[in-house]
Amino acid sequence: MRLPDFDLHYPTSLEDIQGLTKKFLETGEDFDFIAGGTDVLPNYKNRLNPKRQVISLSKVQGLNKISPNCIGALARVRDIAAHKELGIHFPGLVQAAKLVASPILRNLATLGGNLLLDTRCYYFNQSEFWRASKGYCLKADGDECLVVPQKEICYATYSGDLAAILLVLNAEFELHGPDGVRKIPARAFYRGDGIERFVKKPEEVLTFIHIPETQSKTRGPALKTAYRKLRARDTIEYPVMGVAMGLKTEGDRISQLEVAVTGSEAIPVWYGDLGFNGERICQDTAEGLKKALLNRVKTYKNVPFPPGYRRSMAGEFVKELLLTLA
Amino acid sequence: MNHPHDLPNQKHSLIGKRIPLIDAFRKATGQAIYTDDIKLPGQVVGKILRSPHPHAKILSIDVSEAENIPGVHAIVTGRDAENCFGVLPVSQDETALAVDKVLFIGDNVAAVAADTEEIALRALGAIKVEYQVLRPFLKMEESLEQVPEELRLHPKTYDGTNIHKQVEQDFGDFDRAYDEALWKKRQSFRFIGVTHAFTEPMCTIAFFDADERLTVWSATQVPHYLHRALAKVLEMPMHRIRVIRPTVGGGFGGKSDPFPHEMVAALLSRKCRRPVKILFDREEVFYSNHGRHPSKIDVALAIDKNHKISGLHVDALIDGGAWGSFGVVTAYYNGVLANGPYKLPNFRYRGRRVYSNKPPCGAMRGHGAVNTRYAYEILLDEAAHDLGLDPAAFRRDNVLPPNTKTINELRITTSGIGECIDRAVEASSWKDKYGKLPFGHGIGIAGGFYISGSALPIHWDKIPQSTVHLKVDLDGGVTIHSLAAEIGQGSDTMLAQIVADVLGLPIDYCRVFSEDTDTAPIDLGSYSSRVTFMAGNAARRAAEELRKALIQAAADLSGYPPEVFILKDEKVINCTRPEIQVSYREAVRRAMKDCGALQSSGCYQAPPMGGKFKGAAAGLSPTYSFQAFVVELSVDLQTGKPKLHDVWAAHDCGKALNPLAVEGQIEGSIHMGLGQVLCEEFAYNKGNVLNPNFLDYRTLSPMEMPRVHPILVETCDPEGPFGAKECGEGPLLPILPAVSNALFDAIGIRFYELPITADRIWRALERQKKSSATLV
Amino acid sequence: MNQTRTKDTGSSTGNPKESFGNTLRFLTLRVNGSELRCAAPPKALLLDVLREEFNLIGTKRGCDMGTCGCCNVLLDGQAVPSCLVLAFDCEGKEIQTVEGLSVEVDGHLHPLQSAWAHSGGSQCGFCTPGFLMTAKELLEHNPHPSRDEIAEALSGNVCRCTGYKKILDAVECAAQQLQGISQEEER
Ligand SMILES: Cc1cc2nc3c(=O)[nH]c(=O)nc-3n(C[C@H](O)[C@H](O)[C@H](O)COP(=O)(O)OP(=O)(O)OC[C@H]3O[C@@H](n4cnc5c(N)ncnc54)[C@H](O)[C@@H]3O)c2cc1C
Ligand code: FES
Ligand code: FES
Repeated sequence: MRLPDFDLHYPTSLEDIQGLTKKFLETGEDFDFIAGGTDVLPNYKNRLNPKRQVISLSKVQGLNKISPNCIGALARVRDIAAHKELGIHFPGLVQAAKLVASPILRNLATLGGNLLLDTRCYYFNQSEFWRASKGYCLKADGDECLVVPQKEICYATYSGDLAAILLVLNAEFELHGPDGVRKIPARAFYRGDGIERFVKKPEEVLTFIHIPETQSKTRGPALKTAYRKLRARDTIEYPVMGVAMGLKTEGDRISQLEVAVTGSEAIPVWYGDLGFNGERICQDTAEGLKKALLNRVKTYKNVPFPPGYRRSMAGEFVKELLLTLA
Repeated sequence: MNHPHDLPNQKHSLIGKRIPLIDAFRKATGQAIYTDDIKLPGQVVGKILRSPHPHAKILSIDVSEAENIPGVHAIVTGRDAENCFGVLPVSQDETALAVDKVLFIGDNVAAVAADTEEIALRALGAIKVEYQVLRPFLKMEESLEQVPEELRLHPKTYDGTNIHKQVEQDFGDFDRAYDEALWKKRQSFRFIGVTHAFTEPMCTIAFFDADERLTVWSATQVPHYLHRALAKVLEMPMHRIRVIRPTVGGGFGGKSDPFPHEMVAALLSRKCRRPVKILFDREEVFYSNHGRHPSKIDVALAIDKNHKISGLHVDALIDGGAWGSFGVVTAYYNGVLANGPYKLPNFRYRGRRVYSNKPPCGAMRGHGAVNTRYAYEILLDEAAHDLGLDPAAFRRDNVLPPNTKTINELRITTSGIGECIDRAVEASSWKDKYGKLPFGHGIGIAGGFYISGSALPIHWDKIPQSTVHLKVDLDGGVTIHSLAAEIGQGSDTMLAQIVADVLGLPIDYCRVFSEDTDTAPIDLGSYSSRVTFMAGNAARRAAEELRKALIQAAADLSGYPPEVFILKDEKVINCTRPEIQVSYREAVRRAMKDCGALQSSGCYQAPPMGGKFKGAAAGLSPTYSFQAFVVELSVDLQTGKPKLHDVWAAHDCGKALNPLAVEGQIEGSIHMGLGQVLCEEFAYNKGNVLNPNFLDYRTLSPMEMPRVHPILVETCDPEGPFGAKECGEGPLLPILPAVSNALFDAIGIRFYELPITADRIWRALERQKKSSATLV
Repeated sequence: MNQTRTKDTGSSTGNPKESFGNTLRFLTLRVNGSELRCAAPPKALLLDVLREEFNLIGTKRGCDMGTCGCCNVLLDGQAVPSCLVLAFDCEGKEIQTVEGLSVEVDGHLHPLQSAWAHSGGSQCGFCTPGFLMTAKELLEHNPHPSRDEIAEALSGNVCRCTGYKKILDAVECAAQQLQGISQEEER
């Protein structure tokens, strides 16, 4: 399967990138960044919104470092999964990284690409031929959503594994654009529907992911983190439901609770403590938490497994996570 | 054990030995050449324009714009070759490209040959097709309706409907058996389609050369049928066509029809006189499908007061998709192959295969037998459970004895079903586990049997089903010519092993040449588990011919009578006086003395058998394999996800010519069967295949595979080559019901619909919780 | 909303703007220790270049979407699906294909290759080259993997023939053999 034609650029620094993007903004040419390519290239092969200009980040230096409080956007998921120090501070992050795609894809996949992953849907992730025969959808080439028929909102599902745990950790995303550098909390980053997805501007590069020191073991007791992923096989599967949790306790009570869910709506969702801060940790609380989450989680019929089952699993997972983390 | 094929004093040097496949080193170095690895000088790219509609009339096709694109060399449409073809002479309902109507999304409409893929795709985009959309038939039940002619998918259907083939059989008195039964049940089962998912996508190169000869390289299991179909569609004599089968990356039945794209490549090449290669995208492989039929099977089972199976009624509705393919056989197999491995005195069957506007279904590993087997074995388990019997012992009590005939007159010779059950039960510690494992953890058993090749060939020519030629070099090297298609199952190795063993040679004396219709004698191909039995017998006979010549040569040289000689260790040895020896090469030279070339030929034709009733030929085989599997698993009660632990797979393969290869077939069959029972689904959204890719069509990964313990049961079939029977398909049958029966043991729930995915198990568990709560 | 909502025009089905970005560039790759050159368009994928330009046909095309591993090669020692790697991204990196395995051991079979043959790891063999490359990466990082670790490491590769058992056997067997070789070298 061939890719569509595009022109390819290899900047080596952030400045180079700015030069390129500025030019394209001026000429009005569409462009994409490509990091590991494991999301962009399958989508391009399927002719899903390909662009004429592609900026490869593979030769940009300095964006792949990993330290507990700052991870470069070009760090490979493979290296995150194998990182000892990260594992000590944020076991949930390492656990989630180990569950991404498959070993060979983790060798290519980057953290940045994972966080900026395009949304997924049965009607979208198909070939040009398939979509032409079915009728194009809102997200690519068409004007109506085929999941929830209407013309305004795209219901494709956000299916990255790492965003949920970074929402829990209250990470900040550092963006580098023509107007300078800005940091946006992950919790304010994901916005909109399956097309818009986040507040990053097309010309901004994601450079670093900062995790507040307060979350790590360096200062006092760390937030205990864990991630549970629902998938049909144990490999080569996007999450069709993923629940991340961060928990601090005082005695037998919850002193901090962070819950985030991926693989449900068009963006990963942070739910905070769902009103359970201060509760005593027991079976009843876990049941209550499950119910509270079930009331909030939405799923649609556009990825594998029935929506009802996926939603129910969110409840099961959050309950289990609370009891195992405590 | 002495087999009729053994010489009195001959010991086997290779038969029964665990040896690497003879092409394993080529494959492990990347040197094996598959079709897409071939690049001919001047080769161009062929691409097919596919239908976006499930059912439509083609009003017009305008190729004028496409023709004018620079770099386009040829365009063909259905009108260029209207002759019908199909693998079975009784349903020739395919054309190279759609002529009047398209029958499924992905159906072939037109094709282009161009310098590059890009140009070919652009040309496809420039072809204008006008369609008149027709009502699509997407559910099997709809195809039963009587409809006006224009809505029938093919001219030949039943009674104005879209039924392709209807079969009815009745043996004994089922109604009476059911009336008098101690235990009885009717149950409806539903099966979704599954597909082969071989790793090598279809690929074909065709070259119509300056001598007006056509050569076609193709990833096919059936070079001979392809040869015939090409001749018919292109209206060329077979002797001007040569089919070459390069290394094939898996088939499992999915490459066992002659395909439209093979015709199309040839047509394009004839037009532009260049080699044309058509390589499928993975998505196109799904449109080619020919996978297992989705079906709805109603089964009624009766058990008499002696706990014997007294009657079985099967009513199968089978969704064939757009074309006939092997479907007439499928329509029979869904019933007739329920007549073993248990004794069955009363049997009634109705099978209806319908056409529908979906990619065609065809033969897939375990062809026709898998879904009915599932239904039957589930009901057997229910009967045992309700009657308080151990399901293994209950099955053991009902097995067919060897050397018998089933009620539908299948000739059973050797049968290892009893031993299979015993050994699987023993190895799995069944008795300590069945009914005794904690909730969520279970063990289950099921049996099966399968044909070793169809006794009656598809075509009614009076030629042997397999022929093998041998040619000996001056230095004694043996070239084996056969058209049995090596598709990864190890048939080349089997042929070499048999020939080398008979001649007392190391295996590397043998070179197997099984890829070329120009040099090979006819063999019907690799399907219906026929190759080891049929081509193996042909090879054995050819080698025995040679052996006779070599022994005669040694007798001539040494002055001893031929009867005393055996072949061993590259020598012809007088076994009464072992010091009298003639070296193999000496014998070869002597044997060549008068004829120049030392050659031999052997063939196989199944003996006459079977009843006189309509459809009596279906399911007849010179012998049958038998199997019994035990599965142990557990269920994650929180998510419903099953985890397979162990499979004890006892399989009667007659004689394991090469245990390494037999185990490989068993393990591979289990993988494929587990996929169907647990997760594989050929899913549709209206007429679109929902998951035409390897991400959403899920085969099991190494992480989900259980420990598989193959148990080889050897019954030494007197007609099989050195006793061998099939092992490539039968081992798929029992795994599905064994898993389901183990699930029942684990959680007390029966599943009548496949696949049994985590969400279905979870839902069933939730229902179970609720109903037990209301009971309390 | 943002730019992604504009209609795609880059599709290959007959758009006149297609020629954009079609200019060929020189590509230099280090493959199996040799420097290989060709001209390729920017969109060239590593798999296409290996097979079509360099005739290294041992690397197979199974799905073209990163889901089967038949196209795996080692890129700086890591197994990656070459159908999802831009060829120009690989300049300056070390590429190894199945053809390079025996180069590495002076033309003899690599222990993984002989283990594959002797354990029955190949049936149709189409998946074999890709598996070999993944297995090689595994054994380099983890010379004594458990069976579960092997299964995990190979879980991005699909085999439809073997049911994986004999593939795991082959890796175990190769690990033992390599262990023997490295002990000998130590002595
Ligand atoms: C078969 C298969 C299975 C998969 N399974 C999973 C899974 O289970 N879980 C999962 O999370 N993912 C999965 N993925 C998706 C993907 O492999 C990972 O999410 C990966 O981390 C994406 O990273 P990448 O570098 O390859 O992204 P790319 O494809 O390079 O980029 C993805 C997006 O991010 C943008 N981008 C990347 N980096 C930057 C940057 N620094 N600044 C600005 N924009 C940037 C790109 O423009 C693009 O829009 C799967 C993919 C495949 C093919
Ligand atoms: S061909 Fe690259 S992963 Fe399948
Ligand atoms: S050996 Fe055929 S796919 Fe693995």
